[in-house]
Amino acid sequence: MVSHVAARPATVENSTVPRRGGAPGRSRLTRFSAIPFLVPALALVGVMLLVPFASTVYQSFTRDNGFTSEFIGIDNYVRLFADQGFLQSLLNTVMWTVGTLILPVGLGLLIAVFTSSMRGGRWLRFAFILPYALSGAATAVIWGFILRSDGALNQAIDFIGLTPPTSGWLLEWPGNTIVMIVANTWQATGVTVILFLVGLQSIPKETVEAGQLDGASGMRLFWHVVLPQLRPVTIVVIGMSIANSLRVFDLIWLLTKGGPGGVSETLAVTMYRETFIVSDYGSGAAVAVVLAVIVVASSWAYLRRQLQKG
Amino acid sequence: MTRTHIGLKRLSAAAAALAVVISLGACSQGSSSGSGSEEGVITLNGDRADFTEAYKTAGDALKELGGSTIDPRNVPSTENYQQVIRSSLQTSSTTDLVKWWNGYRLQDLARSGGLADLSSQWDDAVDKGWVNPDSKDSFSYDGKVYGMPIYKSFWVIYYNKHVFEDVGITAPTTWDEFLSNNEKIKAAGVTPLFATQEAGWTSFIWFEEILSKLDPDFYAKLMNGEAKYTDDTAQEALRIWGDLYAKGYFTAPDVAWDNEPALFQEGTVAQVPMGTWRNGIFVSNGMTEADYGAYLLPVINEGTDPSVIVESGVLSVAEKAPNRTAALKAMGDWLNPDVQSAWVNQIKDTSANPTVVTDDPTLASVSEQVTAEKPTELVRFWEAGPPPLIEGGVQFLASFMVNPTEDNIMPTLEKLQDLADTEWAAWKAAE
Repeated sequence: MVSHVAARPATVENSTVPRRGGAPGRSRLTRFSAIPFLVPALALVGVMLLVPFASTVYQSFTRDNGFTSEFIGIDNYVRLFADQGFLQSLLNTVMWTVGTLILPVGLGLLIAVFTSSMRGGRWLRFAFILPYALSGAATAVIWGFILRSDGALNQAIDFIGLTPPTSGWLLEWPGNTIVMIVANTWQATGVTVILFLVGLQSIPKETVEAGQLDGASGMRLFWHVVLPQLRPVTIVVIGMSIANSLRVFDLIWLLTKGGPGGVSETLAVTMYRETFIVSDYGSGAAVAVVLAVIVVASSWAYLRRQLQKG
Repeated sequence: MTRTHIGLKRLSAAAAALAVVISLGACSQGSSSGSGSEEGVITLNGDRADFTEAYKTAGDALKELGGSTIDPRNVPSTENYQQVIRSSLQTSSTTDLVKWWNGYRLQDLARSGGLADLSSQWDDAVDKGWVNPDSKDSFSYDGKVYGMPIYKSFWVIYYNKHVFEDVGITAPTTWDEFLSNNEKIKAAGVTPLFATQEAGWTSFIWFEEILSKLDPDFYAKLMNGEAKYTDDTAQEALRIWGDLYAKGYFTAPDVAWDNEPALFQEGTVAQVPMGTWRNGIFVSNGMTEADYGAYLLPVINEGTDPSVIVESGVLSVAEKAPNRTAALKAMGDWLNPDVQSAWVNQIKDTSANPTVVTDDPTLASVSEQVTAEKPTELVRFWEAGPPPLIEGGVQFLASFMVNPTEDNIMPTLEKLQDLADTEWAAWKAAE
């Protein structure tokens, strides 16, 4: 034990020297001995993620009704891209992605910035953060009560003497998709507020004070001093928002079931309907693969670009 | 010491990996939907939580006849339920009995080879006069019977008697009376008719009711793929539906389907079209004969044959049922009047056994009307075509409910016909 303690300062001094060349036998042993520790994680990822993914890709090349399966090549994909409903679903998915980037991210940033410098902001912030504690299903039920034609919103409009719109909030496209994005914003803004607050707190006071000494204030201070320092957290927030918007399902399913007539479906809803309602497992799998490709490609493209800049 | 430490770590890692493998292996045994093969008990899977107690009651009656009691399980969402059955039916994890639907939905399941042949049980029930032999087709695939009916629901219009009394009207016997009633109800500030597309499937209800009352033969042909959605009769049906919308008789198309019993009970909506299986909910909500009644929607043009939409759930035996023999015996006894009386008096619906009379006054009045009018029995839209056609069709009908205008009639019907062409071809190709 004593010899260990005595040896330590030398190790610390040499800490910048690459260790690899030092003890090759030991290093290999360490690396091999790590394998058993990796096996459970690898097995879990393999069994839970990679095997199902490979099986879904294979299934997308089949005609499968849950009982019998027949290989049909790329027919499912050809049919999907010729289907108006699928293109509508793609368009809605794009609307959700853009909407989610503008609303929860933009509002989250504004709320975080204003409430962090405002008196009593801590309490005001709760109003925006609390809905995040609700599940998507509970949010959908609440907004269902509000948005249906006989719901709270139309009753309120009626009460103040105005006429509610003749077409319901959830019945016509693109209105129904937009109000659902707003409903989602109500719930999803909480987490972006929290993340931006963490980002704001990690900005060194000195930089802001230096900016103020140089005469910057208000928007200029925010734009040129604060915002650039929020960059790391913004990358995370936007990345999360893209992924969340692409997989949104519960809110849409409970509010409109993707309808009327499929006009408010997103890819995740189309995938569910094709698979579990129509029992066309091959077509559902094809939608799942398209969705997975979009999620991975957009996340990869975005993160790669942003992290390179950073 | 270090070496021993690494050795211990390796050992624990190996143990952890083993534990993961064992637990995954246990998962593959599955959240079995019921492989219990307890003696004297057969398992049943269904999607109706409100039937659970009634299954037990029917099981007790089956036991009295020397059979097994029923241990019911329930998957509350119909979509999840269908998925569970599709994935478990061909495995040993299946329950002995499976609740399903008749018509093409039953054929879809039967042609997978997952269901046991119940033809001898059916023939036996026919010999004893326990079931109407004319309904055999809707429980058969390729000439063999694969399901025994669990109820025979007639589709009727329920009406709130208090609203009718306040307005001074009675149940209509002609289409003109139906229209004038609606006008008076609307003038009294009550919504005359319930309609919603909110639950997805509910969009076919008025299409089916109007089309079958306009021309029952055409309805039957259309459902069998022998007529076209773009034909004049279907156009006329949508025109009548759109006209009822234009007059403001319907609820908004996004009213929650779950709210329907409450809206009907409180008199916000005067009439709801629904199968007699809905009767149980009205009764359990405390409504009595004094509060509501039911009538068959009159034909639209005088001289048209009367018709009624009929729907039957079925019980089927899984081919790989752990208690196959006991399950087959239970299906042989299922339509026995002793079992049926216990069963239908609990679910408050009409029995498929014509000799069984329910004690519910509303159902009794429906039976009387059916006996008096002798309407042609038509299979409900939901079970009357290949499932992908029906599931796609309800989407187009839902779109029509949101925009029920003359300009939207042909686009809706053309989409329906395109889908029908595709899905009928796919169905026949898989035969």
